[in-house]
Amino acid sequence: MTDARKGSASARKEGALGLALVLPPLLVLIFLIVVPAITAIIETLSPPAGTTTGLTFNTYAQVLGARIVRSDIIFSVDIALISVAVVFCLSYPLALYLRFAQGRLPALFAVLFTIPLFVPVVIASFAMITFLVNHGLISTMLYRLGIARFPSLVYNATGIVLTQVWASIPFAVLILGAGLQSIDDALIDGARDVGAGPLRTFVSIILPLNAIPTMITLTLLFISIFGSFTIPYLVGGNAPQMLGVTMTNYLTQYFRRTEAVTMAVIAFIIAAAVGAIYVTSVSRRERNLL
Amino acid sequence: MRRMTRFHRPVVAALVAVALVLIGSTVPNAARAAEAVTLNLYISGDTNVFDLFQKGFIPAFTQRYPKYKVNFVGLLHGNGSDGVYAKILGAKRAGRTTDVDLWEAEPGYVDAGIPENLWVKLSPKLLPNIAKVPQDILQAVDYFGVPYRGSSVVIGYNSKFINTAPRTFDDVVAWIKANPGKFTYCDPNTGGSGQAFVTAAIYRFTGPDKFAKGYDPKEEAAWDPGWKLLRELQPAMYNNGFHPNGNVAVLQLMAQENIYMASVWSDQGLDFFKRGQLPKTMKFTQITPPLIGDDARVMLPAGGAHLEGAMTFLNWLLTPEAQTMVINMIAGYPGIEWKYMPAPLRDQFKDVAKGFSPYPSPKYLADIKRLWHEKVVVGQ
Repeated sequence: MTDARKGSASARKEGALGLALVLPPLLVLIFLIVVPAITAIIETLSPPAGTTTGLTFNTYAQVLGARIVRSDIIFSVDIALISVAVVFCLSYPLALYLRFAQGRLPALFAVLFTIPLFVPVVIASFAMITFLVNHGLISTMLYRLGIARFPSLVYNATGIVLTQVWASIPFAVLILGAGLQSIDDALIDGARDVGAGPLRTFVSIILPLNAIPTMITLTLLFISIFGSFTIPYLVGGNAPQMLGVTMTNYLTQYFRRTEAVTMAVIAFIIAAAVGAIYVTSVSRRERNLL
Repeated sequence: MRRMTRFHRPVVAALVAVALVLIGSTVPNAARAAEAVTLNLYISGDTNVFDLFQKGFIPAFTQRYPKYKVNFVGLLHGNGSDGVYAKILGAKRAGRTTDVDLWEAEPGYVDAGIPENLWVKLSPKLLPNIAKVPQDILQAVDYFGVPYRGSSVVIGYNSKFINTAPRTFDDVVAWIKANPGKFTYCDPNTGGSGQAFVTAAIYRFTGPDKFAKGYDPKEEAAWDPGWKLLRELQPAMYNNGFHPNGNVAVLQLMAQENIYMASVWSDQGLDFFKRGQLPKTMKFTQITPPLIGDDARVMLPAGGAHLEGAMTFLNWLLTPEAQTMVINMIAGYPGIEWKYMPAPLRDQFKDVAKGFSPYPSPKYLADIKRLWHEKVVVGQ
């Protein structure tokens, strides 16, 4: 037996092992995600029983024709965009601070900011309600300060955004921070040596080098907030509602399964469009690494 | 069913399934070892109902009838009911007895089991005390099962701010308009107390009976005056038209004195009140026509292994002794007519014990919830 043939045999063995390792998650993916997704899409496109055959966009027209559903979709996108913007504005400075500051205080902060990661969203939502509701802590404080009239902070869009922000900051800081860690100190020192101030260093070195982790953070945040259920269900108002809540209502309360599935497909299309940005960012980064 | 938390269902269902397996494997041995007859009692409900059985009914019953022992199986919020139904149905089809001697079942299972002949049809001959139950309630399910306790939605109000209790639905509406921001009801998707106020507005113009059974979407045009009334009330609701999620959230708004009046479940409200979780000045009253409510029924499976013992238990359940526990322990309504209850209790409950209106049929209820979102909170 020559070395070459031995090599190809072991390569084949390795290939088989690799396939065996990949197979279980692949099967789970196919049977629990791909197949149900395809059946769901077919269900939304098939005409009502007993009528013509072929595919129809009737359910889509019907669902999107309802003003309440349209306003729920717009509301969900708006909430997700606003939450992502607020999370980003709060977490980027925190990530920068944790990356560049030295000493005991940043170390303490690094532990503190992760706390929301370990609090289940149900508990966090109820905590936010007691915190923000009329006669709650915030309103009592504002009242003591002499501010008697202020907009309601919970059971509306404000409440959802505040709770989403609270729950999302640790995740955003972790990913942004990981990106910042990978920036070589030598580059920053170099910039400083040639006379760049902190702002110039940030704009010309840190921001561009961290652009891809930033895109990844933004897209993942958008998708998770857009598809959330617990926070909008508990902290949100009666109307408009976020799509997660609307879909659940159509499925479990109104017994209108097809409409619920159609909304799920619409939500998927919106999330997929955002996901495309994520995929491009990741592949661009991999190309850069090569 | 109405207080189910969606998040915990799968977990609880799994636990109940494990518990059922464990109990299923141990019960026959225990029964064989003891001389006494052991009745297996499957009860679905909240923890207050479990307490009612475990700390109230069962000790009192076994003391009175020492021949029997009772094995209690709790199905929290009805989780595991599918398995119990399958077990009874499976035994019936196989021509065998089942160890489910009594089952407090939700209406869906009751209906599904009738054509399968799963339940014993009761009569005063079999169960003398059934004569004390209001006959229309028994007729509603054709004498299958014993309606041993009821609860309904009532109007809860804080007497610190409200001197005269509302007597009618129109009184409540007038009060809401005169006191904007101090009333709300929960989103009807999330609790029966909210459904009660919404149906009350609809029933105000249609009467309750038309929508209690069957389903014809064309009839729903009659709901329009109700929607109009609810929409008019929106600006006068708490927080410019906010409806919290769930029965409990409304009680919390009451507790913080954010609102002074609301529609609440009689048993839940009285229970919160007794535990000191509502202001001491809280009062509850039923209006005319009454808000919706329902009865909990214990079914007697025809294939039960201990029919005689099960009937003894059911008959005892309808005695004033057992029915007093329903009132004292969970603030429920008795299954038997009030005239058979001790006089002091009758006086204590005279404000809320006025019966209740029927629930809309499941499909009508689903449409009511959907249309409420489209026509009331979004507005047209």
